[in-house]
Amino acid sequence: MQIHLDTMLVTLTVAALIIGFSLWLRGKIIAGAPRGAQNAVEALIGFVNDTVRDNFPVHNPIIAPLALTIFVFVFLCNCIDILPAYLLGHTAHLLGIEHFRPVPTNDLNLPVAMAVVVFAMVLYYEFKLKPGHFVKELLLQPFASLLLDSKNPVVKLLGVLLIPLNLTLKIIEELAKPLSLSFRLFGNMFAGEVIFLLIAMLLLVGSLDELASFGGLLSEVIGFFVGLGWSLFHMFIGLLQAFIFMILSVVYLSIAHQPAEH
Amino acid sequence: MNIDLTFVGQIIVFVAMVLLLKRLLYAPINDAMEARTKKIEDGLAAASAGEEARLKAEAEAEKRIAEAKHQAQEIVAAAERRAAELQEESTLRARKDAAAIVDAGKAELEAEKNRARQELRAEVAAISMAAAEKILGVELDASRHSALIDEAISKELA
Repeated sequence: MQIHLDTMLVTLTVAALIIGFSLWLRGKIIAGAPRGAQNAVEALIGFVNDTVRDNFPVHNPIIAPLALTIFVFVFLCNCIDILPAYLLGHTAHLLGIEHFRPVPTNDLNLPVAMAVVVFAMVLYYEFKLKPGHFVKELLLQPFASLLLDSKNPVVKLLGVLLIPLNLTLKIIEELAKPLSLSFRLFGNMFAGEVIFLLIAMLLLVGSLDELASFGGLLSEVIGFFVGLGWSLFHMFIGLLQAFIFMILSVVYLSIAHQPAEH
Repeated sequence: MNIDLTFVGQIIVFVAMVLLLKRLLYAPINDAMEARTKKIEDGLAAASAGEEARLKAEAEAEKRIAEAKHQAQEIVAAAERRAAELQEESTLRARKDAAAIVDAGKAELEAEKNRARQELRAEVAAISMAAAEKILGVELDASRHSALIDEAISKELA
């Protein structure tokens, strides 16, 4: 088993920055009209609270902090590459670190880890809040009517025989949630990074001799502006993906909290 | 792109982040926001209650002013009625007094007239006796002839 030091290093740095900021802000919280950083954080927490309140049927004190953490953490991890993708890698290379990848969400381990945590919480609340209903769904959906509604013993037997199929389909359906959640984030950020590298490879010159020529200089200027444009667009994608990850996590947990339909 | 030990490390980092952010950032900020919201709501409720009390007091004041105006109007009307009654009484009393004065005057005039008549009668009787004494050359007896003279004068005056 190996461990990706670049991913761990960057996520721990981002986590340390967030925790440090929280500790700094904690001592500056004022009861009156908020100013500066407190104002910005209150706007963010108000937005998260509204999102959770709009989607959640009941109050659960852990959901809003979870959504806030997902949004802030994913957004900051995505925005690491506001610097050109090759810069951090090149710096790391100079320091002797090979294959440094600055954006941790490009590493499948981080999106999957977050999605698995959310999925585990979904399963926990499904079993805790409506255990009978969840087990019934696992075993009898989508062919529940064969066993429950029919009076024909042959059809009922067929319904019993289809339980393994139901279970398989339900497991696939449930596993699709964390998979889609993690691969959406990973795919978007990975693609963005690949495009950065393509821009760098296609437009930026490789040596000082090339830079001295008119074509090389023009290519460098074009490459700079294209890279800048893509950086801004990629930042927007990073923000969007952070929001999507957060809102889908809230929605999955909200479904787990919905009362069972009979 | 494979799942390895980093996955476990990321789960630990993420779960720790959720718990720490809840404790260090979300809870204090959220508490401050809720306290402020509650304070604002309390202030708005107090302002609303104050406004309601003001409206109630204004309504009460208007009601009392209306009652006072009504009472004042009643008092003025009663005073006007009383003044009219007093005027009427004064007029009646003045008329009565005037009539009494006129009656007294008439009675006094009548008495004065009678007294003047008596005096005139006495003077005429005395003059008549004096004239008769001169004409007849004898002294008349007043006690004997006065009744006769009075009768004659009374007939003349009548």
